[in-house]
Amino acid sequence: MLTTVEKAGLTEDEASSVRRALGREPNDTEWAIIGAEWSEHSSYKSSKALLRRLPTTGKRVLLGPGYDAGAVDVGAGYAVTLHIESHNHPSAVDPYGGAATGIGGVLRDILSVGSSPIALLDVLRFGDPASGHSRWLLRNVVRGIAGYGNCVGVPTVAGDIEFDESFETNCLVDVACVGLVRKGELILSAAERPGDLLVLVGGSTGRDGVGGAAFASKNLSGRSGSERSSVQVPDPFMKKLLIDALAEVLAAGGVRAMKDLGGGGLSTALSEVASKGGTGVDVELARVPLREQDMSAMEAMTSESQERMLLVVEPGATEGVFDVLDKYEVPKAVIGRVTDDGKLTIRWNGRVEASLPANVVAEAPLVPREARRPAYLRRARRAPVKHPDPSRALRALLSSPNIASRRWVYEQYDHEVGVRTAVRPGEADASLLRLPDGAMLAVKADGNSLHSYLDPRRGGSGCVAEACRNVAAVGAEPIAVVDHLQFGDPSDPEVYWTFREAVEGLAEYCRALPVPVVGGKVSFYNEDASTGRAIKPSPVAMVAGLKKGARLVGLSFPEGSQAVFIAGRTKAELGASEYHVRVLKTWAGDVPSPDAASDSSAFAAVRRLIGSGLATAVHDCSKGGFAVALAEMTFAHGVGASVDLSKLPSDALRPSDLLFSESHGRFILATAEPTRTADVLRAAKVPFAKLGRTGGSTIEFTEGAARVASVPVEEAAALWGGAVEETMA
Amino acid sequence: MAPVFEVDVIVSNKEGANDPEGQTILRDLVSKSGFEKVKRIRSGKFLSVSVEAEDKQSARRLVTKMCDELRIYNPAAHSVRIEV
Repeated sequence: MLTTVEKAGLTEDEASSVRRALGREPNDTEWAIIGAEWSEHSSYKSSKALLRRLPTTGKRVLLGPGYDAGAVDVGAGYAVTLHIESHNHPSAVDPYGGAATGIGGVLRDILSVGSSPIALLDVLRFGDPASGHSRWLLRNVVRGIAGYGNCVGVPTVAGDIEFDESFETNCLVDVACVGLVRKGELILSAAERPGDLLVLVGGSTGRDGVGGAAFASKNLSGRSGSERSSVQVPDPFMKKLLIDALAEVLAAGGVRAMKDLGGGGLSTALSEVASKGGTGVDVELARVPLREQDMSAMEAMTSESQERMLLVVEPGATEGVFDVLDKYEVPKAVIGRVTDDGKLTIRWNGRVEASLPANVVAEAPLVPREARRPAYLRRARRAPVKHPDPSRALRALLSSPNIASRRWVYEQYDHEVGVRTAVRPGEADASLLRLPDGAMLAVKADGNSLHSYLDPRRGGSGCVAEACRNVAAVGAEPIAVVDHLQFGDPSDPEVYWTFREAVEGLAEYCRALPVPVVGGKVSFYNEDASTGRAIKPSPVAMVAGLKKGARLVGLSFPEGSQAVFIAGRTKAELGASEYHVRVLKTWAGDVPSPDAASDSSAFAAVRRLIGSGLATAVHDCSKGGFAVALAEMTFAHGVGASVDLSKLPSDALRPSDLLFSESHGRFILATAEPTRTADVLRAAKVPFAKLGRTGGSTIEFTEGAARVASVPVEEAAALWGGAVEETMA
Repeated sequence: MAPVFEVDVIVSNKEGANDPEGQTILRDLVSKSGFEKVKRIRSGKFLSVSVEAEDKQSARRLVTKMCDELRIYNPAAHSVRIEV
């Protein structure tokens, strides 16, 4: 039999510090409230100290980390809000519902700062697609995202997918949301004025998700079968009503603060509004609309039932607020009021069930963690000696599930609803959304688990470098980052070392570019349910960029002959590349290391080339390197290209390295005006070269006059286009 | 030839879990149309399965195995009732 402290997921040390802070033994309801709020999921107790290294300020930053969503000024009186979340454990046991409620959760974060959601992105990680279980997870996760996103009328515009056996049972489902709000209408989650009313809005509170935050803060091993209560059922239509009703409620005025109910349910929401506002709350749980009559106070406080928001409303404004909610038939209840005593007072039919200082509940003690370089990194790695024929290697890479077309996934999503989408998935490196003043917002999310496994620091800097590069490739300037850091058990020093390295990599790059991190999320305890092995370290970054000017340039070569340029230097960086891992099956080599200073000049040059109309196609080099990137540019219009590898600005490399190195900071550009294009690149001091021309029906790589590799466009397009679709058929 | 049994499979969200479809039918259709005595509606999926088997027990066993292995339902989210 578990003790109350163990059930709350607290350690003995944490329990003692609770007793010390209160000067007494808490009752069961109080333990549950503290347990929910002090879980890793809600408190960041293992990660907070390290996350302070991230740069979080900048001239555009309106809200940084610590709020439900970050916010940046995009001009013309508007702010864009950003948030990223994961729903890994719920999706691993119930992929449809887990992924859908993940979308629901991130939408609430965007709503709670007063903004309207305008786009969703998702970053997914699954096991080997040859496994039936992985395919079941993938199919249902995508259905869940599509079902929910399409119902609430928010387009899913971009994302990223990788497959690796470490995600076989613990898949990663990260969802990010972008919102838009007038600058003056941002709302915080601080209940500052005693006397204001606490209004619970939205769905009813049931037993679903009781203990969910604690569930997310443990591993999955061997318990998925029994922890049924943690599964939540999505209700996208209720969310759609909430979205519309809240927009109208906020416009009417009277709402002073707002907080979504996510992990930790009412416990977390109430303690946060009170501690942020320096106030207290007095709540009567009997007023909470419960789905089941026999629920206990503890269950009502920690339930994670979906589609609920907490509003802090001026006493005189309730009538207007309720009229709007009634019109949309959104259930609501006044559950209590803001007090000035700094306490969380929870009653059940008048009787006090819990009375805790809000700041004690909201501020879990930090947990110092040990870090040790993992043993797996010490194994000697022999460099590959035998390289296959480059044309064969290119074919293998194009059909790799990590590179092949994601059309099977994104065509299930509605990416157009809301009419802001200017560039659709697959057409360019990032998606573009129209802003009210005619400017555009570019968004993309990236991560590279293989890079992060072999060198977590470079994996951390690399994921944000890649996302920034993708945003730059559509002509936008990176203005904000939200990150999502997913690792195994933080009490394992080897896991914690990879986490620390990834954070430092991320911080280094963001500081140097510079671009602020305005929010993020940490998810620990991601490990294989049967082997207990941690997932590959998985830092993920979503970047938003601002684009002025209306010129849209995609990644595909247009019809007619164009000059082909590369910008950026190719280095001997094949460690953890798709070529090494998938084709040569080796972990030898250095992981690509991004250079923020040279990226910054390259991004500016690409912006100029797009803005001036010189570039007719732009694509960055990432997974699979230069060769795969060039091939991807030929597919849409069936226009081939012939390029001379010996001209690539590079360290002296063998042809296979030039083709498949995954060095950061590189763009392939097409242009009808090579002289002027060269002038722009030269002026920006970016290493560049003119490599050849588009045209014909093959993708051809030469070194001088000698042919190195060649694949017909049609064949390459079929390999790349069909790989995921065939697997999922 | 073995006899054929008719087996009913009813999949619904777990007891206690939310059921948006059932709630919507109750709230927006039934209650608004004068059937105030109807207090609760749960929705679900119904499969009618005809199966060759020796007897009732083995018919039930076969269908249960089929539902489990082919993930006709997700035990984490749904409850299933199998009736011969």
